[in-house]
Amino acid sequence: MNFLQFSFYLFSVILIVAASLVVTVRNPVKAVLYLVLVFFSAACIWLTLEAEFLAIVLVLVYVGAVMVLFLFVVMMLDIDVARLREGFTQYLPAGLVIAGVMVAELAVVMLSGRFGLDALPRPVARGVDYSNTRELGLVLYTDYVYAFEMAALILLVAIIAAISLTFRRRGGTKVQVIAEQLRVTKADRLRIVKMSSEITDGEKSQ
Amino acid sequence: MELVYLLIPLACLGAAVAVGFLGSVVGRVAAHTIAIAGVAISFLLSIIVAVDVSQGHHFNGAIYTWGQSGGVVFTVGFLIDELTAVMMVVVTFVSLMVHVYTIGYMAKDPGYTRFFSYIGLFTFAMLMLVMANNFLQLFFGWEAVGLVSYLLIGFWYERESAIFANLKAFLVNRVGDLGFLLGIAGVLFLFGSLDYATVFEAAPQKETATLVSPMGYEWQWITLICLLLFVGAMGKSAQVPLHVWLPDSMEGPTPISALIHAATMVTAGIFMVARMSPLFELSETARSVVLMIGALTALLMALVGLVQTDIKRVVAYSTLSQLGYMTVALGASAYSIAIFHLTTHAFFKALLFLGAGAVIIALHHEQDMRKMGGLRRALPITYGTCIVGSLALSGIPPFSGFFSKDAIIEAVAHATIPGAGLTYVAVLIGVFVTALYSFRLIFMVFHGQRAENLDEAHGVNEPGWVVTFPLIALAIPSVVAGAILVEPVLSGRLFATAITEPVIATGSHTTAGTMLLHGFSGLPFWLAVAGVISAWVLYCLKPRWPSKIASTFSPVYRILQRKYGFDELYQCVFMRGSRYLGEHLWRTGDVKLIDGIMVNGTANLVGRLAEIIRHLQSGYIYHYAFAMIIGLVVAMSWHLWV
Amino acid sequence: MIPLSHYLVLSGILFALSMIGIFLNRKNIVILLMAIELLLLSANMNFVAFSHYLGNMSGQVFVFFILTVAAAEASIGLAILIIVFRNRQSINVQDLGSLRG
Repeated sequence: MNFLQFSFYLFSVILIVAASLVVTVRNPVKAVLYLVLVFFSAACIWLTLEAEFLAIVLVLVYVGAVMVLFLFVVMMLDIDVARLREGFTQYLPAGLVIAGVMVAELAVVMLSGRFGLDALPRPVARGVDYSNTRELGLVLYTDYVYAFEMAALILLVAIIAAISLTFRRRGGTKVQVIAEQLRVTKADRLRIVKMSSEITDGEKSQ
Repeated sequence: MELVYLLIPLACLGAAVAVGFLGSVVGRVAAHTIAIAGVAISFLLSIIVAVDVSQGHHFNGAIYTWGQSGGVVFTVGFLIDELTAVMMVVVTFVSLMVHVYTIGYMAKDPGYTRFFSYIGLFTFAMLMLVMANNFLQLFFGWEAVGLVSYLLIGFWYERESAIFANLKAFLVNRVGDLGFLLGIAGVLFLFGSLDYATVFEAAPQKETATLVSPMGYEWQWITLICLLLFVGAMGKSAQVPLHVWLPDSMEGPTPISALIHAATMVTAGIFMVARMSPLFELSETARSVVLMIGALTALLMALVGLVQTDIKRVVAYSTLSQLGYMTVALGASAYSIAIFHLTTHAFFKALLFLGAGAVIIALHHEQDMRKMGGLRRALPITYGTCIVGSLALSGIPPFSGFFSKDAIIEAVAHATIPGAGLTYVAVLIGVFVTALYSFRLIFMVFHGQRAENLDEAHGVNEPGWVVTFPLIALAIPSVVAGAILVEPVLSGRLFATAITEPVIATGSHTTAGTMLLHGFSGLPFWLAVAGVISAWVLYCLKPRWPSKIASTFSPVYRILQRKYGFDELYQCVFMRGSRYLGEHLWRTGDVKLIDGIMVNGTANLVGRLAEIIRHLQSGYIYHYAFAMIIGLVVAMSWHLWV
Repeated sequence: MIPLSHYLVLSGILFALSMIGIFLNRKNIVILLMAIELLLLSANMNFVAFSHYLGNMSGQVFVFFILTVAAAEASIGLAILIIVFRNRQSINVQDLGSLRG
């Protein structure tokens, strides 16, 4: 067993354990943290597949942004965990049966030899000068350029949607109303009072 | 010449449209001037065409193509030959006379201009019918005259009876038209063309074409087509059992009874069968049916004519009977004789109707013959012309009816197809009955005692020249038309190209002279004379005998009075039957099936299904998620193992 | 060496685990969203593995797009979650049944 195999199986075990903890732990905050672990080990597994760019993106975007967002939300909301876990194991047998059937079926297909080393041998590892990022960029900006633009648009829409959904105006916030500032005239700010000149007592005495 | 052909119907149409739309603007005098000018132009041009045709100039061609579908071309076209020419002259002449007469008859009617528009339209439709060179145009004319007939029978639309009568005429004609349309469809199916010339040329090759019915009988195609076409003719020409509309159509104004229900439209069926002679000659079965239907109509309707008391209805039943004679001639393969009788009948029947109309005007719209009598001094011209008409109708030589009717009887005597023997007897009895009812009318109206309840103070005077002129103008051809036409018709010369028929077996009597000599010694003549004398005895000498005879033979009298119960039968079977059917279709079909099961049932079914299915719609997102996952597993298993 | 099938089985196990998660945490919408992230991850794992073994870059491009869409989905999903909580003071799925037929 070489280092590659060792790391693959190590991270696989971590991934499976972490994933099962994600769906079973009581505390949602812990669940999010286990999810971070799942993503991290997934990124490591992807490294064994020479998908360096995606592995980094997974860590940066998912762990760095999405998971932090999850953490924020979970901590922000006052969640009554006890109620949410009522009947937690009620559907477990059904879920286990379904999942078991599915894993069995997948295993039947995947271990049938069609995906074994004889049918699909593992490609020879690339050299040091190979850049996964460059390869991906070459495809992304040529063949998939329209899809890429579309993905950007989807992200923009998601930003707008998330903000407009959660944004609410509170009373008492101070804001600048530029239109009103521009509409201001001299009469609004300055009051000229006409009055006769008077001589105060002090001046009189002088 | 093509322009002339086109102008003949269009002059009538133009006049009708002008009068119809502008009649109320230009006033009565201008309206009838336009209408009469239109039909007069048509008449004069028809004479020109007739002269041209007699010199051997025929025409058969399309004027205008108005549609093309699946290789079948629909055209407006004219076929001008002797048959068409004769019909055109007859139609336009009678129409012209009726136009003139209408000025007098309808003088006080508020629908004066409307009436002129209708009869102009009718003349146009009838001309299109007779001038057609294809089945579609024939059908157009056929339906158009039916429509105008409907409008005219219901001309006095305030009268309930008129509305019933025109509805009846329309419905009965629909029955005939259905047959006619199926016949045309059969022609199109068998020959692939609607053009007369093409069809007639191809007909002999199709003689053996047969149609196997679902029950296994073999039908000759031509027989089927001929029978269906004849059903149409039965409707239009009022043959038993589709005759019931014609007596009721007397609800229309008298000029219309003369023009449409005596002289022209009802002869459309006769004309059509004559036109189709190349087809009918190929089917003895069809001719046999035609012959027997004609014989039934000729005899039965003449008998009913004996007991009618309404002056117009007597003439109407005589029309039915005479149409029966024409049909008999068609069945006996004597098509040209049928057209000959059609022509002479058009003149003398229009004359009789207009004469009856003159009596009706003179008596201020009284139509009951029992209230008439002794009018011969007050109405000398009407009396004289009616005598001429009745003599012609009864077939007394040398009036025109004699020649045509005698020729029909001779043709039947020589016919050999099944049913000819009985038909011969029927038409002979018919001659006697015809003379009897014709002169019964004459004697009841013009002779005998002056009916006391006729208001003397009003005075009974001969109507003006617009009424008497058409009477005289029609009386002249009623006398001479037979003698003039008999020789060319019977020698087979006149319609040689227009009609396909075997050589008519009438012995050697093909000229007017020999016909007359033969006529005085023949049985029909003596039967007619016997009829006239019987009428004289019964209604002049012994006026009490008729009622005695009626009470002695009261069952027979009642049957005749009820017109054999055709109306009651149709009322019971078709009217009640269709109401019953309609009621049940409404209750079960509409209310239960469509409303109950299909419309409300659909809604109920959806409602009930939704009542069950809504339980699936729990609203909990995890239920949907479970459904998706289970579906996924099932789909995977399906792909893996099935 | 590691055969492709091991990667595939790994992703299959991940898929099954996330499904069990959906069954278990059917009332907690936050964990449901996390389970969905796991599902997507297992699909991505397949894409990357096939991309590597078949020597085709398209698989990784797909993963790229799935990540984009998943990020968008997570952000909008959490935004909706916040509004729901703000209006109902609960994220219990059983309280969210107003679309019941």
